[in-house]
Amino acid sequence: MRPRNRLHPLLMLAPTLAIIGLFFLYPLVVAARDSLYRWDLLTEPEYVGTTNYTRLWQSGELTGVVGRTLTFGLVVVVASTALGLALAIALNRPGKLYAFFRGAIFSAYVVSWVAVALLWMWILDPDAGVVTRAFRALGLPTMSWLGDPRSALYAIAFVTVWKITGYAMVVYLAGLQSVPASLFEAAALDGAGPLRRFIYITWPSLRPTTAFVASTGLIMSFQAFDVVRVMTQGGPVRSTTLFVYAIYEEIFVNLRVGRASALVVVFFFILILLTLLNLWAFRQSGGLADRAPKRERAEGAA
Amino acid sequence: MKRRTLLAAGASAALGACAGAERGVPLWFSYGGKNREALLALVAAFNAEQPEHRLAPVYQGDYFELLAKLRTALHAGRAPAVTHVVAEILPYLVKADVLEPLTKLPGLDRDFGFVPGLTQNGAFAGGSERPVYALPFNRSTPIAYINGSIAKELGLSPPQTWDELEAFARAATRGAGGDKRYGFSCPIDWWFWVALVAQAGGDIVDAEGRFSLGGDAGRDALAFLQRLVHQAEVMRPPSGRDYNAWQVQNQEFIAGRVAMIWNSTAFVRYLEDNAKFPVLCAPLPKRDRHGVPTGGTMFVMPKGSPAAWVEAGARFLAFMSRPETSNEFATKTGYIPVTTSGVKLLEGAGYYQKKPNDRVALDQLEDVRPWPWHPELFRVQREVVQSRLEACVLSKEDPATTLQGARRAIELGP
Repeated sequence: MRPRNRLHPLLMLAPTLAIIGLFFLYPLVVAARDSLYRWDLLTEPEYVGTTNYTRLWQSGELTGVVGRTLTFGLVVVVASTALGLALAIALNRPGKLYAFFRGAIFSAYVVSWVAVALLWMWILDPDAGVVTRAFRALGLPTMSWLGDPRSALYAIAFVTVWKITGYAMVVYLAGLQSVPASLFEAAALDGAGPLRRFIYITWPSLRPTTAFVASTGLIMSFQAFDVVRVMTQGGPVRSTTLFVYAIYEEIFVNLRVGRASALVVVFFFILILLTLLNLWAFRQSGGLADRAPKRERAEGAA
Repeated sequence: MKRRTLLAAGASAALGACAGAERGVPLWFSYGGKNREALLALVAAFNAEQPEHRLAPVYQGDYFELLAKLRTALHAGRAPAVTHVVAEILPYLVKADVLEPLTKLPGLDRDFGFVPGLTQNGAFAGGSERPVYALPFNRSTPIAYINGSIAKELGLSPPQTWDELEAFARAATRGAGGDKRYGFSCPIDWWFWVALVAQAGGDIVDAEGRFSLGGDAGRDALAFLQRLVHQAEVMRPPSGRDYNAWQVQNQEFIAGRVAMIWNSTAFVRYLEDNAKFPVLCAPLPKRDRHGVPTGGTMFVMPKGSPAAWVEAGARFLAFMSRPETSNEFATKTGYIPVTTSGVKLLEGAGYYQKKPNDRVALDQLEDVRPWPWHPELFRVQREVVQSRLEACVLSKEDPATTLQGARRAIELGP
């Protein structure tokens, strides 16, 4: 379909472009400029060139934050994707009981982060928490899950998995329900068991869904802030200082607008990289890119 | 300029949202619980006492959250008429030229008879070399809180020295694993570390005004905490950071899971009211000498307010500096009364005989080590030292290495 006027598509896009420009691109340009200054909001900014970037690198702060955020993201993505898939397969059945479980599991996703964080702080309390009591009842050693630098990052990753697994499950359920039942019936007639049906039918059909779930999970884990702010404030010993929290800490605790802006710029490029990775994974998994040739083949066959 | 306009718009929106239905001259305050109740009651009394000015108190989170918002608002030209800030940031705010000199304001150009150690002049070395920018509000020192039942059962007295503290903690520690009761707890925090440095005979700046971080005393203070946590296993650092850790520790003390804690005198009333055992307060012990820093906050008035706000703010500060008002806040919370005549009023009424715990911080003012008047003090506290203390104590890093790294970071500058 051709537009009646060449300007029409641009006019249609203008409101969205204006919002993106004002709220995303302009702040990014401001951050890129501020990253070249030393500034504490109150005294005059001082131009320091790339010092903020070199300090971030030399102090080890950048590698520390990126390493922690990637570890956190990896744990969250792998666990939430695997659990979401398992739950979707287990609960992809008709009946009120299954519907209840699907709803119950998804409900965690719609609860606010702050409520979830407070709930899990109570559950993980090193003295009176449910987890601690359960470990004690089983004769297992307990620890301060959020107070120990070795476990705190994994504790908040666990909480994040608990919250977003319901979302992964719902997306997988949609994916599962789009796989033709005839494929499973034909495979069953050919003598394929549940495992083979999963390996040869379910998993290949769900690869684009998996790429989508993994990508959104990764983005959600990179955006983690509320859970850190409420549960650990980045501690103990900075073991839970993830990227967004580090930016917050630099600007609002350490008074360093320049250093925080440098982190923002680095964060932007990391997200660009992840987006490219996401697009690549989506294409590899038979996502959008493969659809067009298939349609052409189908039209040709007709 | 554009950025300033945007920030101004954002700050205005935030201020409007925070102020909610109540309109008036904004007073930003931090901290909740009994402190909040006491302050709000006094603001209501001020509003009721005179018809000209109406103060609108706006809660802004803990001290550091308030500071974050205050800096943004100052930059945007939308700061409140009055607020209160931790003492350590005062030199920086004065250097940034964002505070009103208070003694030039009508009603504040007189001597209120403040307790000397709590004022800008007394709390800072060099505080008297400049105009007065801050008046004492909720001022404190760290003190020891002891579970009276445990102390009586074990025949323990409040420790007078570091050795006695360790002995107390060892004697009061019981059990193992999740049911373990610890003898001692203290947040791994700048404020308590500065107290330990003072007790070990050091100061955080040397004679030339450079941040020495106590030298050997700073190292010994960290090593002492490490020994209590890892070797003696009688101290559990509370989880969480900043004031979260302070609150967590209070809860553990109230629940009887810790026999003795160090915390601000601010919690005297809260702990007395909520503990099911008698709470005994005691001064902090010494190693080479007694020594504590002051804490809490001081009232300041940001520059740039409309004249009516300045007048209202000055009247409110004069109201809060009256002995009766200051005493009202102090006796409801546990903070130190800020005027000498207020202290005399309480003494005359036999208050301290009835509430001996309230007297501990007041008497401890004799041992106060003043803060250095240094614009970098707050950055050194928050950015350089605080995170390193936690890493050193929890990860068993060599204290000398930790402090060497901190001094290097200070030299590198912001």
